[in-house]
Amino acid sequence: MTADTPFTHIGQPLPRKEDRRFLTGKGRYLDDVTLPGALQVTFVRSPHAHARITGIDAAAARALPGVVGVFTGRDLAQWTAPLRLAPPIEGLHPVEMTTLPVDKVRFHGDPVAVVVARDRYTAEDAAELVEVEYDPLPCAADTKTALAPNAPLVDDTLPDNLVSHQSFSAGDPAARRAEADRVVEARFDLHRLTHVPMETRGCLADWDAGRAHLTMHIGTQVPHPMRGQLAARLGISETQVTVISPDIGGGFGQKIALYREELTVAALSRHLGRPVRWREDRLENLTSASHARETQCVTRAAVRADGRILGLELDLTEDFGAYCFYPANYMARVIAMILTGPYKISDYAFDVKVVLTNKCGNGPMRAPMAITSWVMDGTIDAVARELGLDPLQVRRINALRPEDLPFTMPTGEVLEDVTPLETLEAAVQAIDVPAFRARQAQARDEGRLLGLGLCTVVESTTYGSAFYKAAGIPGSGHEAAWVRIEPSGVVNASVGLMGSGQGYETPLAQAVAEGLGVTPGTVNVHMGHTDIAPYGMGSRGARGATAGGGTLYLCAQKAQAKVLAIAASMLNLNDAQGLRLHNGQVERRLEDAWQATGISLTDVARRAYLDPTALPEGIDPGLDVSLTYDPPAMTYSNATHACEVEIDPATGRIRIDRYVVAEDCGTVLNPLVVKGQQQGAVAMGLSGALLEQVVYDENGQNQSATLADYLVATACELPNIEILPLHTPNRKTPAGIKGMAEGGIMGSIGAIAGAVSDALAPLGVTAEKMPLSPQRLRALLRKAGNFTHGTTFSDPGTTTTTHDTTTHGTPGNSDGRTNRA
Amino acid sequence: MSAPVPISLVVNGETYDLVAPPRKLLSDVLREDLHLTGTHVGCEHGVCGACTILIDGQPSRACLTYAVQMEGHELTTIEAVAEGDWLSPLQQALHEEHGLQCGFCTAGIVMTFEAYLRDNPQPSEAEVRDVLSGNLCRCTGYQNIVTAILKAAQVMREGQGA
Amino acid sequence: MKPAPFTYHRPGSLSEALELMARYGPEAKPLGGGQSLGPMLNMRLARPAHLVDLNDLLEMDYIRDAGGMIEIGGLTRHHRLATAPEIERDLPLLALAARTIGHYAIRQRGTLGGSLVHADPAAQLPLVAVTLGAEVVVRSARGERELPAADFLQSIMTVDLAEDEIVTAIRFPRQAEGEGCAFDLFSRRHGDFAIVSVALTMERDAAGAISALRLGLGGVGPVPRRLAEVEAQAVGCQPDAETAARLGRSAAAAISPEEHPEVPAAYRRELVETMTARALLRAAGQEGATA
Repeated sequence: MTADTPFTHIGQPLPRKEDRRFLTGKGRYLDDVTLPGALQVTFVRSPHAHARITGIDAAAARALPGVVGVFTGRDLAQWTAPLRLAPPIEGLHPVEMTTLPVDKVRFHGDPVAVVVARDRYTAEDAAELVEVEYDPLPCAADTKTALAPNAPLVDDTLPDNLVSHQSFSAGDPAARRAEADRVVEARFDLHRLTHVPMETRGCLADWDAGRAHLTMHIGTQVPHPMRGQLAARLGISETQVTVISPDIGGGFGQKIALYREELTVAALSRHLGRPVRWREDRLENLTSASHARETQCVTRAAVRADGRILGLELDLTEDFGAYCFYPANYMARVIAMILTGPYKISDYAFDVKVVLTNKCGNGPMRAPMAITSWVMDGTIDAVARELGLDPLQVRRINALRPEDLPFTMPTGEVLEDVTPLETLEAAVQAIDVPAFRARQAQARDEGRLLGLGLCTVVESTTYGSAFYKAAGIPGSGHEAAWVRIEPSGVVNASVGLMGSGQGYETPLAQAVAEGLGVTPGTVNVHMGHTDIAPYGMGSRGARGATAGGGTLYLCAQKAQAKVLAIAASMLNLNDAQGLRLHNGQVERRLEDAWQATGISLTDVARRAYLDPTALPEGIDPGLDVSLTYDPPAMTYSNATHACEVEIDPATGRIRIDRYVVAEDCGTVLNPLVVKGQQQGAVAMGLSGALLEQVVYDENGQNQSATLADYLVATACELPNIEILPLHTPNRKTPAGIKGMAEGGIMGSIGAIAGAVSDALAPLGVTAEKMPLSPQRLRALLRKAGNFTHGTTFSDPGTTTTTHDTTTHGTPGNSDGRTNRA
Repeated sequence: MSAPVPISLVVNGETYDLVAPPRKLLSDVLREDLHLTGTHVGCEHGVCGACTILIDGQPSRACLTYAVQMEGHELTTIEAVAEGDWLSPLQQALHEEHGLQCGFCTAGIVMTFEAYLRDNPQPSEAEVRDVLSGNLCRCTGYQNIVTAILKAAQVMREGQGA
Repeated sequence: MKPAPFTYHRPGSLSEALELMARYGPEAKPLGGGQSLGPMLNMRLARPAHLVDLNDLLEMDYIRDAGGMIEIGGLTRHHRLATAPEIERDLPLLALAARTIGHYAIRQRGTLGGSLVHADPAAQLPLVAVTLGAEVVVRSARGERELPAADFLQSIMTVDLAEDEIVTAIRFPRQAEGEGCAFDLFSRRHGDFAIVSVALTMERDAAGAISALRLGLGGVGPVPRRLAEVEAQAVGCQPDAETAARLGRSAAAAISPEEHPEVPAAYRRELVETMTARALLRAAGQEGATA
């Protein structure tokens, strides 16, 4: 933030309100909510990737003491409606899903029956006794198999497994190819990942038979859409459902859809007339919740000899898994639309295929468009390599400059108030690229492999209604808020978001405080309860700050206007000109300075609530204001990530020596919270690029079902991150706010891949496939003919920023850490 | 076999008498029978560290312990760390340094380091990361947690007149 | 993930524990630290009808000087092995290895005996036991026997232990004074089970040449192994970069790791080659030497 910020409360690094309860063990997460008499469920899941269900015998299970019932897909089909996804999008097949599978299972972990018992231990005992007969079917274990002729059909209602196929062309990419000096092709293979929130999924459904009303306690990022889904699937009215989200232990996109399990629990509560709860265990979460990414891209860049990209083509294939909880083109589409990002490219075409396979279905995971910046900057790096140019120069020659803005991308997306070139130069300067190149050259002479990766990100956030309309996707991007000043002068407010760790409570209070003219400490923002909060679209797509904060800010300004109108009358003024509310006091502009009037917000509130006949004409009693706000179609923020690595050629181990992010996310509500988001996003991106992987074997068996197999980075695998903040406000959003917090994943994937490719460039090796595991790197090195005999290189494992090998010599060896943060 | 047995547990200095099956995990007994819900369950296979409490003053996974085993031992959970409005130096540092986001892993980290810093008052950053590697966090990337722990260690040393 | 039901026993003495093992043998599992058995029980991969909790048997938690041997009780925790001054002094290889086991919280509970019985092919303590030529002391109600660790560890998670037996102690030959040693493991993350692990001790003569070498590898087969044939090649050589490289190549050639989709055998061989060479140099105090 610059010193002369126009804001009082926005931009302050206030520590968070929710910390105390989390630090002292007094948070209230789903499992902490108790209802006496609640039953517990567990699910019987398919051991097969693809099989017909030919029989279910639950007699022994039902007979176990403490078991209340065992139910199957047929039962659920009677109590609930199926999910039908049929948005009018060309190239997208409509699909339908029963609540629980009835005829066949489509992935290893697919739930086929549910046991309801007095406790989870008993339920699991009973689940073991449920005998399910399966007739195994051949499985489509990957996209290649799924797209082959006569492939096993994942969804029997579709003609084949290509559930979505879209193409697009702008300008004349073919002509650009013809006139180019070179056509550079590059490949990018991002693997299958999953969200792994520390708190798994779960819910507590409480059907009140007397009122015919469902109260659904569930950690959900989208309380109102969740309510709508529950009502529709259960065949009841939205007036009969209340969704209450307690504290959530992480969501990252996994807690948006209404999945089969939660709907089943709600239906069971209604059927049994008792509260029913479910806690997903970690094995279920890793195998059966929601997966993400697994996308391959091929780009063809038509280039001039100086590196200028004349035209760009993208082929994308996404492995979507077996079930569509979202329209199948949903995530892939964004990648294709924003690919050109920071570069001035107008001739562009894409072909996007989304394929069903016998795996757990995909959903949006923090940065659903994660692969984008790796693909774009990786293409730039490929161009540089093939033409023998400096990759920095290729970026510069193609970069959008300030004078190019606003720039309409070939897909119609409009970029304005973004600074990708500025962030590139800031990162480059911070790294001191020439000095790095000198170090790199020297290291190469010593047989050491250093690499530098750069990745510029243009991050799409806060999708507005106009975006959905243009895309043909039903749904809205607006947000709703209310602000209510209570008779005592404190402020309750609400918005349709729900946090899962982002730390909304303080920054949103700051937005209200700024708009209204009070201190954040007097504001309480209520979220997550559908009877209390206004109808909003929830937390997703990095919309919290712009849509949530923006709506609250505007609503608070509206509230201030009413307050000042009342204050004006209390001061016997004709109107509120020259009045403001500042930290809860009404002030008047006199002689070029703000002067106290002696009237406080509490005074105004008392008049509004308790003495309404004294209110001026046209002003209604009370101080309860509502507002909705529809953000622009898209709000972009941007960053450049720079990553220095050293690769141990003998083991393939990567050590990250330095990580720098220059990020411009506009007006920032709370820089402390934003920095936390930046760090968390980079961490998740690096963890995914280096360690995590959902693995299925050729029979569709999930091989990564525990946290010992699915590797999430620990404190020893991640570097400290240096952040260089820039702040270019968006001129179309309230207070110039932009979204952020997904870009870190996009940039880190691109930066680490770029660094590895840069390090291995002298060997003619590029990192095309992730994860960048040591064994993968060793395989690349081996193929390049490079195999060292162990003692040639010093071991980087002893003084590292990432602790990977625990190397100990004789006692007294210290592993120091190089810390450049 | 799964018949409940009487169990007497000493948790945070208080004695609790309850009845539970021998196989009931300590993590479940703490949360469900004793209503001490500050200890969280993240994996039930000992990897994530969210359930870490102190057994006789040393950090241990509550999900890998049966409550029945804990008779005769002293258990300490997150609820015992703060006292009224007073936060421990570690809790205070985590707050100031923004070392938590969703909070689900936080109790496990606090318990681990309340014990570790008591026994190791001047750790290096490498040592802190080594111990912290036993607690998974999906939100923060660990950077601020490390800063907070080092800050807390310094505050604790100064408090001791070191 | 909740365990299947079991009957819980809490013996107050070793003899009581052995009686219970005698009575319930095939249906009973002894419970030590629970850090390895716990996850298996929670995932129902193990479902003993009887669980015999050994944690009250404090008589099995000890480190004792027994002449040329250091005797360590089976219930001794990893943390104690990692931090006890007497282990640091007399069995530095064991101290080095213990420090790398899992994580700080895991090491408070996990036990030496438990680790040996669990016999994970990549685990640290079985590797050290084999490398140092330790003896495993096993008791039952029928009596006591002792066998070399290399014989005790039979295959992947399979040991020479009858259904009624408990490992009560491990006897390690004291390491030679001034002996150099190194322990290294390669894993994807800090604290994970090793893909490959190397344990090495080295004695040198007055001229600085290697007079004795012990080299053990973990993760390259169903059980940890000492490579006696490779050890012999090192005797008489200076522990320099050239010797290290040669030793590494020999070690890699001496093993036949299995193919695995995630970890190819070729990769394990490369790791062995690199890590053995580096361990040799580290043990000689010459880290960073290049050929």
